[in-house]
Amino acid sequence: MIGPAPEGYLCFRKRGPDLNENGFTQFSTLTVLLLLAAFYGGTYLLTLLIRKDKEDTSGFMVAGHHVGFGMGAASMTATWIWAASFYAAATSGYTYGVSGPIHYGLWGALMILFIYPFGRRFRKLAPNGHTLGELIHARHGASSQMILAVSNILGSVISLMVNFTAAGALVSVLSPLSFETGVIVAGVGVLAYTLTSGFRASVFTDFAQLVALMAIAIIIIPAVLFSAGGPSVMVEGLSRLTDEQANLFSVEAILHQGAPFFVAVLAYAIGNQTISQRLFAVREKHIKSTFVTATIGYGAIVIGLGMIGLMALSVGMEPIDGKMNNLIPQMVSTYLSPVFVALFFVLVIGSLSSTADSDLSALSTIMMADVYGKNIAGDNPSPRVMMLVGRITMIVATVAGLIFASFSLDILVMLVFVGALWGAIVFPVIVSCYWDRVTNAAFTWSVVAAMALFCIARFELLEMTGLTVLFFESLASVGGAVVIGLMVFGFFGRAAGLVAGVITLAAMLVFATGFLRDYMVLVASLTAYGASAVVCTAMTLFSKERFDFDLIAQRVGDYDNVEDESYMVPEAAK
Amino acid sequence: MNSELVYGAYILIWPALTLGVLGVICWAVARDVRKAKSSDEDLL
Repeated sequence: MIGPAPEGYLCFRKRGPDLNENGFTQFSTLTVLLLLAAFYGGTYLLTLLIRKDKEDTSGFMVAGHHVGFGMGAASMTATWIWAASFYAAATSGYTYGVSGPIHYGLWGALMILFIYPFGRRFRKLAPNGHTLGELIHARHGASSQMILAVSNILGSVISLMVNFTAAGALVSVLSPLSFETGVIVAGVGVLAYTLTSGFRASVFTDFAQLVALMAIAIIIIPAVLFSAGGPSVMVEGLSRLTDEQANLFSVEAILHQGAPFFVAVLAYAIGNQTISQRLFAVREKHIKSTFVTATIGYGAIVIGLGMIGLMALSVGMEPIDGKMNNLIPQMVSTYLSPVFVALFFVLVIGSLSSTADSDLSALSTIMMADVYGKNIAGDNPSPRVMMLVGRITMIVATVAGLIFASFSLDILVMLVFVGALWGAIVFPVIVSCYWDRVTNAAFTWSVVAAMALFCIARFELLEMTGLTVLFFESLASVGGAVVIGLMVFGFFGRAAGLVAGVITLAAMLVFATGFLRDYMVLVASLTAYGASAVVCTAMTLFSKERFDFDLIAQRVGDYDNVEDESYMVPEAAK
Repeated sequence: MNSELVYGAYILIWPALTLGVLGVICWAVARDVRKAKSSDEDLL
């Protein structure tokens, strides 16, 4: 380890014997290949412990619905932590100061927490479900289900691509190996240990990866702090911070980092099959404890690693080439020995691999259950064909992820649309599980209308002045009320949710109109929520239909007992 | 000295919390493994 850096050192760093021209610790090709082989080889060997001669579809998709609390919490935490979590939390700490890491990690953690009350409802309605799409198919039919499935698929493909890209970037920065080599090794490595056992392998390896990830985080955070001079040096460095950066309740941090994340809390959870898959996989009685533990675990790890960004700010470090993603590797390379850099390497590879294997499992399950099981096979889905569909999906998804990652495609536009789609489906999905009058048309048209209005606001297709901008601010206010109302509803019931929604709406109409127009990205996101809620509610109020929720459990069943005529009857009803 | 303690605690509370969650998860998995063995079922 090296001692505290003298004033100004970090802005003009010297190259040590083990640092490359970019200022990072440089490993040899052999060292990195050995680290990768140890990680992926070890993970693959682990999966041999749970391999079965004949996998069934229920095990492959949701581990037979009986994942325990420990494995479930580990898997949920590991899945939700991806490579970008560390980099973005550190960037937030560096940019917004003291409150920055919290405004990244806290809201990300709450995405896990706020979904579990709804998850229990999903599980009650469809005890043998595998995807949220299946539930919506049973409730509404194919068009609503496919909207959900498409949003899930896009999300997982983007996630795969980002994680493979992170692997390529890390390998190329810390070794002479190329970016493409890192991408390919990560893709092939993840596919190799996930292909045979699917979700069971994903959950089992998540546990091992999380234990390693947590142990490394527990060591690295204090190690960086004390190697950089300890709290006294950090406190001296606080004079470098602006007033906003030094403020734990910084308005700037809330508006720019916290608020957009807060808006996305429910959308990410609903739009992500990796979460709903675990809601269907964990034993029903353990859903709450699993998701609460994962919330705390995610928050602690991500906020903790985000503190490295705050430390970088305190000691006056400048990110190399101005790239914020360099902050953590830079801090670790500067203050810690190569052994710690190797641990950091494993930390990032572990985090991106655990998310990538979950995305592969999510994609395969969507193709197996939502596409093949519900839309192609009709009344006679074959378990054997389903397994084939699942494994082929994993291979195709990996190849697609590798190609997209290798070309370093600009995914910003795709991300914008997927985020909006997730926002648009939140209200229709949740309300469809509680209100028996919601129709397929109300679901579908509310999403279509919300996406159209989102595009108008996001890309300012109309001149945002006068009544037009007031209209969108009003819709955004409804969106804000929907977000708060649904969160409160999940924990405290309908009356509390309605009261919270009405109070939020009134407050936003009074305080946000005339103000929100300066934040059109936020207006557009909230418009997606608000417009879908307004259209869905209006169409539902005109509906005379009444849906029997018991039908969902009868329609969403196990695929393995297909020869048995009772295969569509849930276990609980047998 | 006081602000050093606060700053140090503000940073170190997160790895400490992580350690606590790690302990809970490992304990729960160990319990599940024992249960699975005693009832001759698969863990997953």
